[in-house]
Amino acid sequence: MTKYGRTLQIGPTDLTSEKRTPRHPLHLIPEAARASFVPYAPYDFSVLGSEADMTRLTPGRPQADGDYIKITGKITDQYGRPIKNSMIEVWNANKYGRYTHIEDFSGLQLDPNFLGTGRMISDDDGNYEFWTVRPGQYLALPDISRWRPKHIHFSIRGGSSRLITQMYFKNDPHNDRDPMRILMGDNFEQNIGKQYDIEGDEFDCGYKFDIVIGGRNPTFFENDLT
Amino acid sequence: MPHSDRKINQLKLTNEDTLGPYYPISLCDNDNMNMIKIHSGIVHKATGEKIIIKGCIKDKNGSLAHGCLLEFWQANEHGIYRSPDEENNDKIDPWFTGYARHRTMDGNFKLTTIKPGVNNDLDMPRAPNITLTIFSDGIMRLVTQLFFDGEESNETDPLLLSIPKEMRKRLLLKAMTRADDGTTIYNIEINMSGENETPFFDDLLS
Ligand SMILES: [Fe+3]
Repeated sequence: MTKYGRTLQIGPTDLTSEKRTPRHPLHLIPEAARASFVPYAPYDFSVLGSEADMTRLTPGRPQADGDYIKITGKITDQYGRPIKNSMIEVWNANKYGRYTHIEDFSGLQLDPNFLGTGRMISDDDGNYEFWTVRPGQYLALPDISRWRPKHIHFSIRGGSSRLITQMYFKNDPHNDRDPMRILMGDNFEQNIGKQYDIEGDEFDCGYKFDIVIGGRNPTFFENDLT
Repeated sequence: MPHSDRKINQLKLTNEDTLGPYYPISLCDNDNMNMIKIHSGIVHKATGEKIIIKGCIKDKNGSLAHGCLLEFWQANEHGIYRSPDEENNDKIDPWFTGYARHRTMDGNFKLTTIKPGVNNDLDMPRAPNITLTIFSDGIMRLVTQLFFDGEESNETDPLLLSIPKEMRKRLLLKAMTRADDGTTIYNIEINMSGENETPFFDDLLS
């Protein structure tokens, strides 16, 4: 009667993962309960256009330290259909690897011109764009000198779509030892921003990061919408 | 088209990843752990029996799991979820979305809501329940559903019946006390791992 699904894997060398990962196999959801597991976030989002510019606190303020990069991409389901009007929240460390978060106790250098969070809404074609500084690496576990590679955090929410993920950078020397990256295996490729050149000196470069939401992060209610 | 062909044509999914410890608290400023009032300062509110749920999230060692992002999802007093399929249902409560989220600093949470009802129009009616999603550092998304202790419909709920009997009580909200205004306060302890580990569900393979 009881049916089991996956047993979750613990991220290697990740102490928090060791403490927080359930050991018991996950229980499969019976068909009659399936739909109830898909929250439908109301589309009542509003953001300011300037929230997509993380290189400065507010329009007209000086820019933060570091290289300015533009991240662009398209959010779709696994059939390539755009996921529109979803709320995209992003956060990353500053040039020195420090988060502005009140619980970042690393002591790394703060930058008074960097907030470290941004928000935007995907357009009718599922596209999004924001500007930030290239994040620094940071030492996540000093005792075993495990670094986190450069990365930008993403949360996407809207309707029945839900995904929390991170964008990584190609050839970062710390990528291969990252616990969650190890769990991704060969599919890690999907989480690397594809670098492209940008004319002029406003940006160091751009990264294209297309996001495909599906599987357990369902979008099935939207399938009926046009 | 055979199932296997369809699979080949699908795009590769972006991997989900851990939330990390630094989800910006300010991004939750406008979120609300009171599902009864979706707007502040407005007369209208959700209909149904007001309840309060006080809970905590603990790790393998029994310590509070700080920094979790919690998301709640439930049906209204008639057992109807606010999904697009139901927008024309006259049992939809316009002042109730059934959705709340919260980043807990210390691992404790308090949700004010209405008690979800039972939708008897379904072939297999569900017992009143609240879906809980947990994001945190070190894990991918965890999901489970919380039920109300002593509810007769628990005996026939397809999800509760699908897990071993001895585990069911770990999903039960227990009525412990009452607030000054008479509101019932329920308690629950979620154990991410270890002894009394909370049953979690696989929404990937199911
Ligand atoms: Fe991070």
